[in-house]
Amino acid sequence: MVRTRRLWTGLFLSLPLTIYIVIVVAPLLVSFYYSLTDWNGFNPEYSFVGAENFLKIGRDPQFFGAIRNTVVWMVAAIFLPSLGGLAIALALNGRGFAGNIYKSLFFLPICLSLVVIGQVWIWMYHPDWGLVNTVLSGLGLDGLRQAWLANPQTALWSVIIAWSWQQMGLAMVIFLAGLTSVPKELTEAAEIDGANYWQSLRRVVIPLLGPATVVVIALAIINSLKSFDIVYVMTQGGPFHSSDTLAMFMYNESFKKYYMGYGSAIAVVLFLISLVLISFYFRQVRIMNEVYD
Amino acid sequence: MTEVTRPTNANAPRPRRVFRRWPELLFYTLLTVIVVLYSAPGVGVILTSFKTTEEIGRLGLWSLPEALRVANFTEAWTGGNVAQYAINSFLVTIPATIFSIALGVLTGYVFAKLPFRGSEALFVFVVAGMFYPPQIVLIPLFRLFNAVGLYDTLWPMIIVHTAFGIPICTLVMRNFFSAVPNAMREAAIIDGSNEWQVLTRIMLPVSLPALAVLATLQFTWIWNDFLWPIIFTQSDNMRTIMVGLASLKGQYSVAYGVQGAMSIMASIPTLIVFIFFQRYFIRGLTLGSVKG
Repeated sequence: MVRTRRLWTGLFLSLPLTIYIVIVVAPLLVSFYYSLTDWNGFNPEYSFVGAENFLKIGRDPQFFGAIRNTVVWMVAAIFLPSLGGLAIALALNGRGFAGNIYKSLFFLPICLSLVVIGQVWIWMYHPDWGLVNTVLSGLGLDGLRQAWLANPQTALWSVIIAWSWQQMGLAMVIFLAGLTSVPKELTEAAEIDGANYWQSLRRVVIPLLGPATVVVIALAIINSLKSFDIVYVMTQGGPFHSSDTLAMFMYNESFKKYYMGYGSAIAVVLFLISLVLISFYFRQVRIMNEVYD
Repeated sequence: MTEVTRPTNANAPRPRRVFRRWPELLFYTLLTVIVVLYSAPGVGVILTSFKTTEEIGRLGLWSLPEALRVANFTEAWTGGNVAQYAINSFLVTIPATIFSIALGVLTGYVFAKLPFRGSEALFVFVVAGMFYPPQIVLIPLFRLFNAVGLYDTLWPMIIVHTAFGIPICTLVMRNFFSAVPNAMREAAIIDGSNEWQVLTRIMLPVSLPALAVLATLQFTWIWNDFLWPIIFTQSDNMRTIMVGLASLKGQYSVAYGVQGAMSIMASIPTLIVFIFFQRYFIRGLTLGSVKG
């Protein structure tokens, strides 16, 4: 009995785990290996260069620019889509049919590709016809008109806002799921006790959204580490690397310049950063489970 | 508790309602303004896709088209290689969706119903893959598929999407199978069924909602993916629709109408999923994340 059970376990796990390890886990170790070489992607011969790629990272201002942009992105990701999503979720929760229509609208961008979204927002920022500049002119703020994506001062934020436009729907959905776990009795009790809307929001509803908030923030951080598609479509990291994220920088070094050894070293750094963040997230989830269960 | 606050006569309006009417109106007005602003990018694409280049030059992107012309759509379909790109996307998305779910069903069943020493750690090890920035393994996989001669075919995308789908599929299936009573499995085992029969005859028939959740999620992610095909393919005939869309942008750099039409066509499959399976899609997003 125990033996057949073990046999089935092995049988069921063998194929998925093999594929997972070969495609997802093992290549990570190979990345570590390549990061110690000067491989150029084509030449079968390459030599071992030790820690040179990592020393080069330490001297590369573009790398630090990419790190800074990724951190900016992360901080923006924690606040912009999350607060927007929270506000919309609170506004639309329990509004019946009309609320559901609005929810669908806010949610729709999630099912679109970031390639399409990048495309759409290039038009929003179009120097002549873009809605952003048109609206600014309409408000009499002609001085603020500019080529948003071609200006190193504004390129990064322009891409981040386009991205947040999509991510807001995701935050909204998760907060809405969190709101269903807030018992009506609690808000009603607060109302009876004389709390107004804001008080019951601050003292009752928001604290109960703790787990949902952790998830929203974790997703924001992870997704900002992965931010690539929309940068590729909108700016390719330019102008002058002003909108380079770590993922974009890694791609450009590896697949545009064919510095595969150096690209692997950047990949290793990216892995270490995500490892720290993921373990922090798992710890936070454990604490949350202890508090809320 | 609720009995106290409820008015005794159901028809008697609550006194507060009278005061709420104004804020209610204000609320919906404000909300509509926000929704209009929020929809503006999408509306621009729809409007533009029906306009000629001359009209756009004269009226801009956000004006109403003078007539509903579908010329941009036919141009996008025939002028670009869009039909081929769409076929490629389906050839990648459908098998990768099915394979990743099938594998997730197997692992999910083991982690939910056949736990063993260390299975919890193994589960975390598998699910952690969800958080992985794919850039970490870009170069080794590029090398691998070059070495085995699959570069510039659709196979690498099918394989990689299957593998990267295992974490989320495992998570959702394990959570779903955990909710199925153990007694159902045990009764079947006593009646002489083996684990495969339990899985296919008892577990799978009741887990259709979970399968629908995963199908919508995986289909959407894989269809929309852009990174893997730009790494693994080169020739025009192997492009998926998103890569084709990004590259045609160069070819039609001033033909905004054609670009808009292409964006819409590339989004149709996921929009269909959104319209008909929205419930499952949302459940997947919250299931996959809240319980992560």
